Amino acid sequence: MMKIFNSRNIQTIVIILIVGGLLFLALSGYLTPIFNLSLNPLISLERWLSVRYISARDLLTTPSDVTALREQNAVLESQVTQLQTQLIEMEERLGEAQVCFALLEFGRTNPQYDYIAATVIGREISPFLQYIIIDKGTEQGVRYGMPVVTQQGLVGRVDAVIANASRIKLITDSTSVVNVRLQSAEIEAQLLGSLTGDLSLNMIPLDEIIQPGDVVLTSGLGGNYPPNIFIGQVLSTQQRENALFQTASIQPIVDFSSINAVLVINNFQSVDISPLIPEQ
Amino acid sequence: MIPNLVCLLILAVFYILQSTIFSRITLIAGASDLILLFLLAWSLQEEVKNSWLWAVVAGVLISIGSAMPFFTPLVGYLGAVSISKLFQRRVWRNPLLAMFIVTFLGTLFQHAVYAAGLIVSGAPIAWIESLDSVTIPSVLLNLIFALPIYAIVNDLAGRLYPLEVEV
Repeated sequence: MMKIFNSRNIQTIVIILIVGGLLFLALSGYLTPIFNLSLNPLISLERWLSVRYISARDLLTTPSDVTALREQNAVLESQVTQLQTQLIEMEERLGEAQVCFALLEFGRTNPQYDYIAATVIGREISPFLQYIIIDKGTEQGVRYGMPVVTQQGLVGRVDAVIANASRIKLITDSTSVVNVRLQSAEIEAQLLGSLTGDLSLNMIPLDEIIQPGDVVLTSGLGGNYPPNIFIGQVLSTQQRENALFQTASIQPIVDFSSINAVLVINNFQSVDISPLIPEQ
Repeated sequence: MIPNLVCLLILAVFYILQSTIFSRITLIAGASDLILLFLLAWSLQEEVKNSWLWAVVAGVLISIGSAMPFFTPLVGYLGAVSISKLFQRRVWRNPLLAMFIVTFLGTLFQHAVYAAGLIVSGAPIAWIESLDSVTIPSVLLNLIFALPIYAIVNDLAGRLYPLEVEV
């Protein structure tokens, strides 16, 4: 019995009781204030150290990230540039395709003619004349006098041809005369070009009533152009006192300043009637 | 030999630029004439002695390609180069002023020849209308392009004909 209660065993029992008491007090919540007081400085220290560590780590690792981001940004920018280039190319091709489609549509709606499609490659150097140069010539079947149209309407006729190019005299040229008719009133008149590229109708009888918006078509008279090709609309009319005929300004349907492609009608035989006209 | 080849090449480049681009840049109905400006600037260079030859070459070249009455461009360019040669000796101290003067007078002369040629060949052209709509806008455009063309041609002439320094 004395051996059981020796000093060493008593010490062990006391430690167990103290630990058990502390556990009991901790589990019952009586030691929480003491824990807080003791842990708060530790947490503060941990936080301080953690912030400093993160800052130091960022300081050491961020430059490499910026370099990587810059490289990535450069790659993305180059991709954007490539895509923009592709977009521009696609838009250009789309524009060309739309022009080709419109020309094709014109060909379908006018199946009586055979066409040679050509691209406009230049313009007359002298500002006094309204001519364009196309990339098709005698080798492709273009001949002198052939009418030239776009999907919108009449452009002019072939004035000179070489092997792989042709010069087209536009209907806006000051020396151009086209016999036309007004669709609504069935009036025939002459369409004249001018130095500035404006179109006007001449030889309209004074007693005929024409209205702005009336459609102007080729009449086919004179044998230079096939009939019923759209030219434009009447913009305004002018009647001068003592004049034998009235005149009218015409708004052409074709935008002559931005023609990129044309169709040459290659199965229309123009007729030269100049020998039949009496000399004055 | 090399200056002639370079000059021919430059003339061809200017012809293509004129036909494809500059003829589309219009003011009312006027347009600039790069070939005229080249000939004027070329003939103003002191070291260049064969500007007449290039006026003939350019005149024939344009006469073949243009719908103008034949040799009208040749007459226009020869007249413009004559004016340029006249002013080269008189306003030699200020070449830029000379360039502007000969551009103004050369364009007027060239357009007068063009209009006369067209009227003679039967085109219904009124002098006043051609002056208002074509000539004056063309003069303005030519004056705008005169300075850069002169700078290019002056630099070209300096490279092709370097000054000889006596030692």
